[in-house]
Order: sequence, then structure tokens, then C-alpha cells
Amino acid sequence: MTDRPDGVPLPHPDGPLSGYRVVDIADEKGQLCARLLAELGADVIKVEPRAGDRTRANGPFFRDEEGRESSLYWWAMNAGKRSVTCEMRLEAGRDLFHRLVAGADAVIETSAPGAAKDIGADPRALVKVNPEAVVVSITNFGQTGPARNLPATDIVGSAMGGHMYLNGSDERGPVRTTAPQAYAQVNLQAAVGAVIALYARGANGGLGQHVDVSMQESMANAMDNAQQTWDILQINNRGPGSGRMVSGREGPRYIYEAADGWVAALGLGGLVGPTSGAMIDWLDQTGEAGPLTAPHWRERLEVVQPLEEDEQELLVGIMEQFCRTRRKDDLVHEAQARGVGWAPVYSPREIVESDQLAARDYWVQVRHEDIGETFVYPGAPWKLSGTPWKQRGRAPHVGEHNAEVYGHTLGLDADEIAKLRRSMVI
Amino acid sequence: MASNGSKPKPFEGLRVTDLSWVGVGPTVAKYLADHGAEVIRVESATRMETLRRAGPFTDDEPHYDNSGYFANFNSSKLGVTINLKTAKGKELLKRLVAVSDVVTESFTPGSLKKLGLDYEELRKVRPDLVMISMPLFGQTGPWAHYMGYGHVLQAASGFNHLTGWPDGEPIGTGVAYTDFLVPHVGALALVAALDYRRRTGKGQYIDFSQFEGAVHALGTSILEWTANGREAERLGNRDPEAAPHGAYRCKDGRYVVIACFTEQEWEGFRAAIGRPDWTDLERMRRKWSRLNEQKEIDRHIDFWCRERTAAQAYKAMRDNGVPSGIVKSPEEMHRDPQLKHRGHYAVLEHPTMGARTYDSPAFRLSKTPGGPSKAAPLLGEDTERVLKGTLGMSDDEFTELLVEGVLE
Repeated sequence: MTDRPDGVPLPHPDGPLSGYRVVDIADEKGQLCARLLAELGADVIKVEPRAGDRTRANGPFFRDEEGRESSLYWWAMNAGKRSVTCEMRLEAGRDLFHRLVAGADAVIETSAPGAAKDIGADPRALVKVNPEAVVVSITNFGQTGPARNLPATDIVGSAMGGHMYLNGSDERGPVRTTAPQAYAQVNLQAAVGAVIALYARGANGGLGQHVDVSMQESMANAMDNAQQTWDILQINNRGPGSGRMVSGREGPRYIYEAADGWVAALGLGGLVGPTSGAMIDWLDQTGEAGPLTAPHWRERLEVVQPLEEDEQELLVGIMEQFCRTRRKDDLVHEAQARGVGWAPVYSPREIVESDQLAARDYWVQVRHEDIGETFVYPGAPWKLSGTPWKQRGRAPHVGEHNAEVYGHTLGLDADEIAKLRRSMVI
Repeated sequence: MASNGSKPKPFEGLRVTDLSWVGVGPTVAKYLADHGAEVIRVESATRMETLRRAGPFTDDEPHYDNSGYFANFNSSKLGVTINLKTAKGKELLKRLVAVSDVVTESFTPGSLKKLGLDYEELRKVRPDLVMISMPLFGQTGPWAHYMGYGHVLQAASGFNHLTGWPDGEPIGTGVAYTDFLVPHVGALALVAALDYRRRTGKGQYIDFSQFEGAVHALGTSILEWTANGREAERLGNRDPEAAPHGAYRCKDGRYVVIACFTEQEWEGFRAAIGRPDWTDLERMRRKWSRLNEQKEIDRHIDFWCRERTAAQAYKAMRDNGVPSGIVKSPEEMHRDPQLKHRGHYAVLEHPTMGARTYDSPAFRLSKTPGGPSKAAPLLGEDTERVLKGTLGMSDDEFTELLVEGVLE
């Protein structure tokens, strides 16, 4: 890979998955999965139609200028991959794609069950093309079952995966997280399935296999203990999201407005349970403890037990008053110093400006030499002592690596590549 | 999930000492246990696992062996109790690690070092060890010692900011969200490191910060700030690129979700509601202009849904190819025909809790299938078997440790 003038993607010979090759024909349900494999060292080849992958049209766009190289979605999910074009609806394209698959350790695909037969990407066919490859199929509901062919997007995954029911407000109903979480969840869980199947090649004579991933199930795994609470108590945990209903019991609100935003403080901010003494002392020192300094309150709050409604109201009122006049970082810092686990509600900007992440040298500067700019991207999710994570540079342009992948990696000669171009395969 | 006895398990022969607790660490180790590793969950009655004290409890009777919260994260594992505060307990743990391939832990940074059981010490008895530490904020930095649970980490990592209505408070996801997100991030690194070890024989240490993992699930939010200088905001159930896009209350009080990203989906939606006149208005004909009419569209759908049950509304959408669904309650999830077909909820017999349901992985491996194979262990259920069997401890020594309180 020395013939790459711009050096994108950056080489990563020291990752735990270095030496593996991954072919990525995934949409929103699998692109993050493949990107993480690239950051662990795999050579990930994104295969796109000649007009570019459909998700290049996903917004938002850099400086709001729409274009197939300016999607921030594309940048975020495809950084560090190589891109080739391949028109899989043409027979020559299918042959070419199968040659890529033949040299791959894993394929990440997201076609609806049965839908990829005509482009030669049916998972069963791919397993035959390369029995050593792990074929990861990520779908809305899985490859089998009555719902297997139903259309879905992120919000459908959140609803049908049982997660949205646990959230929202009494007045306005359930709500999803604006940054798509069914997509995030299924990508991450598919990545685990992918590496388990890669590992299993050791126990399985070097053979790959089919990994059948369901977005609905990935969300079902994010229901806290609602699944067990129904099974054991026949109670539906439910919203509102500002409270916390867990194990069938409704909790008081856990977010409080501070002078400059919000803080999250579970269990009435530690006023109930083993930290109650420390909390009452804190309130007492600022003269805001109200009646709580009385011995019977101290005794009552020390043990976690159900509170009467008027008691709860009193405590929430004290917390609201206390937080409202103070800055959130100060509140959290002081609470933590007193042994109580509060956290600030941070926006993306505040996360980027976080002292903790700065101290950990978290952020990565990613050069976009094509537009002469450098941007900050999220950094290492893990610090691996022997095989580090690495951000591999910006996302590829459409077909940016056609020559090097088809020439070097597949070993096609110039005539063959020219012919593929002429016949509009690449 | 039915397991096929003739098929190999991915992690067969791998032994894991699982020192982790609460949600994240045990879920990472559950992946290994559910796929064939021998995972030895080490606990102590002197420092009872938080989730053993948290419900739901069978018969609503609080007892450390009856917690469904604990059970779900600890399927397929063995249970051993060791008091790591005792000198002999520490020695015992080292003997266990010496015959283990993996150690998982999620204590506050520095806790294991204080006990003399950090990676530097443990690799002396097991040089090719793979060890992962996974506290909230990582091993270093000003927040390294910050305490908390997933319910507040979701606030620090942006999920509260991005969940709720634009004119309302940052309500968050209603669950201890990162506890159900970052285990997958941690497991990815751990299994990748194990695959590297399988091929090279080399172990290593993984410093995993839950916070740093969670940030990768924020979609485009970080780049929107760093590249465009704009903060992503919570949008209720709207989506910047779809109209309609929302959750709508039906006659029976349940909600359906509807999402139309493409013109084809919009046409399906029109067909589903009988192509009323408003859908043919000029400003409704193209997505870019529909995006400005979401308020009006939502009002029409609210009216339409009010006259139908969620099942009727969902059927109309589904029959016309519209991405749609019902907001399913935990009860409905248990009855869901798709999840039933997939065997998502594994039913396992527990000695005191009886037949209970456990979450399965979201994926099925065709040749080396996994899935929960055994109910969660009772506190210390396998102490004797592991110490005498795996470590070859004599009856005398076992009794001695028992009497001295090392196995509490």
C-alpha cells in the first residue's frame, strides 16, 4: 500500500485485527461496525455502486453543502476505509465482487433476507464463494421469522425492540434518542458477533460462518431490567424518562436544573441510602438542609426504603432549590468529593471540551487534505497495551481506491481494469 | 436458544476470571460465557454485588440468590466466593488467574493495585493474560475516581442532551443506558485481543473507559460541532431527513411509529391512509417541502390514529411497505412472535428462582452457536467444585480456607 499518495487510509500494522480484510456493503446498520474493525487493524474495503453509496446522501453536510463527498454521516461512519466501485447488477460486477469476497476474512452486509440474490450478495452464496470468510448479515428483524421482511428504520427498531416504551413523558408519549440508537446498538453488537466468529475459526478448522444479526434483538438487549421485571413480577417498567422506573418501582426524578444546565443525580442525588449522611452534611453546611438535619430524617434516609409521596416531594424540592443556584460542574465535583455519583448533562460541545477527555488525550485530529482542513474526531474507545486502536484518516471518496485495490490487492492488470471501466462495472 | 451438542463453541477451553460487577463488566463476560468459555464469577459476601441486592426478586422476596437483575447478566457462569481482603484470598485468586486466560474487572481505578492484584502483578503468574479494566471514566484523568452508574453516565456522554423534546428537559433514555451500550464496545476489544492472542500467543492489558466508548454511539453529533460548529439538539421523535417521522397515539392508548424517508415510503403511507386530499397538496408532494410541514402532517396522523387501534394502524402501514411498528411494552416483547421465533428469551431453570427468561445475543452463529446455557450461579455455588476440581485443592486445605473465612 505504498502507492497511496495521500496516505488514506493510514496504515495500521499493529492492531489486533491487522492482516484481516473486510468487505463492507453495509448501510446504516453495518457501517460503524466495519469502521471499528478498520480501527482495530483490518483492511476494510467499502464497495459502492458507481454513483456512490446511498448513504452518502445522508445529512447533515459539511457547511450545509450537499454533495457525495460532504456528508458528515459518511465521514463519521466510513473513516479509515478504502472505497472501490463495483456495479453488482452487472454480471461482470458480481464476478469482481466475488473475487473481493474470495480474499476477505469477513463480509459485512445489510440486505433484506433474500433481496441480495440478484446482485450475487446473498449470504448463503457468499459463504460458498469463500468458506473461510465470516459473513455478517445485519437486518431489521433477523434472517428468519414472520417479521423478517418488514421494513424498518431506527425509530422502528427502538419501538419494536421495546426500548422506547421505557422512555418519554406521560403527556407526550414515548420518545427516541435523536442520535439513532437502534443503528448504533446493532452495529456494535454485530461487531461483537463478527469478532467472535473470527475467533471461532480457531475452534472450527479455519472455517468461517454466517452471523445473523437482528436490530430488534439488539434493542431488546437495552431494556435495563424490564424484561426480567415482566417475567418475574408481571409489571411493565415504563417511562417517564426523567424518572427511573426499575424493577417495577417508580423512582423520583434524577435530573435537576443547575444554574448553567442540568445534572444527573440518581436516588435523589444520594439523599437516600448509604450516602445520605454525607449529602445532609453538605446541605447543612450551606444552610439548605431544611428539616433534614433532624435525627429522625437522618435515620429514615440512611436505609433505602419506599418514601411517602409528601416526603419525596420535600426531598425533590430541596434538591431542586439547591441545584438551581449552582454551576453543574461545581455540583458534580463537590458531590463526587463527598462520595456521591453525580454527573453533568453534557452537550456534544461540552464533551469535546471535557477536561477528562483532554487529560486522556482522547481526541484525534483528522486531516482532510482534499479540502485543506483538519477536524476533531472521537478517539480511542480503548487503550490496548499491545495492539493499539488507531483512527485511519478521513472517509474515502467514491472509488478512490479502485486502482490500488483492483490492481495491487486483486492483481488485475491495466487492460483488465480499463475493460472494467469501459463496461461501466467500476 | 437450542444448543447443538455436536457443534463446537467459539470459546471452548478458554477460562475467564470475572472480577467485574454490576452491569457493564458482567455483560462483557456474559458474551464469553454464553459462547462456551468457562467464566468464573468471583464475588464475596463481605462486599455483596450491588445487583444481588436489587430487584426484581422472585416472589418479590429480596434475597441475594433471587435477583433477576443479577441473573440476566450472569448466565452460563460459575459462582465462586473469595474474600480478597485476606492474604490467603489474594494468593488464591492468583492461583485462579494462573490457570485463566482472561481477567475482567470494573472496580474503581486503583482498587486492584491496592490489593496487589493489578495487571502488573497478575501477568507474573500468567504472562499471556488478556485483562480488561472497565470503570466509568478509564484508569487516568481527573474523573478517574468518579463514581456512578449507567443512568448518570448517559448524561455525561450526551444521551440526555439528545433525548427529549426541543422545548423540554433532557430526559435521557429511561434506562441506565450506557450499561446496555458500552458492554458491546468492551467485548469487541476483548475478543479482538483474544483473536490476536490465538494467532500470536501474546496477551495484553485493555484500559477501557465506558465514557470514551459511549461517545462513538453519538452518530454525527461530534462532527456537527467540530466541523460545522453546530450543536446537535434533541428533536422529540422528529428526524431531520424524514417526514412523517414520529410516534402516534392510537385509540387503545398504544403508540405506532411511522417513518417515511423516501418518496416510495410516502406513497405507501398515502395509500395506507386512503390518499386524503391533504396529502396531494403542492407542499406535500416533495420531501424537501414536506419537511417543513411536519406539524401539520403530525396533526393529520394524530386524527387518523385516534380512530384506530395500534394494531389496525400498524397493519395499514405494514401492508403498504411503510417502515412502521408498535411501541412494545415488556409484556408485548415477551409475546412477540418474531422474538419467539428467534428464541431471543432463553428460558433457564435456576435452583431458587425457577424457570426464568434471559436475554440472548442479538446474533446467531451458524456453525458455532452460542446463547445462555445455564442459569446464573447462586452466591458461591461452585466454590468447592472450582477450587478442588480446577485448582486441585486438597480437602484439608479447602476446609482450612473455609474455616478461616477466606471463602466468604
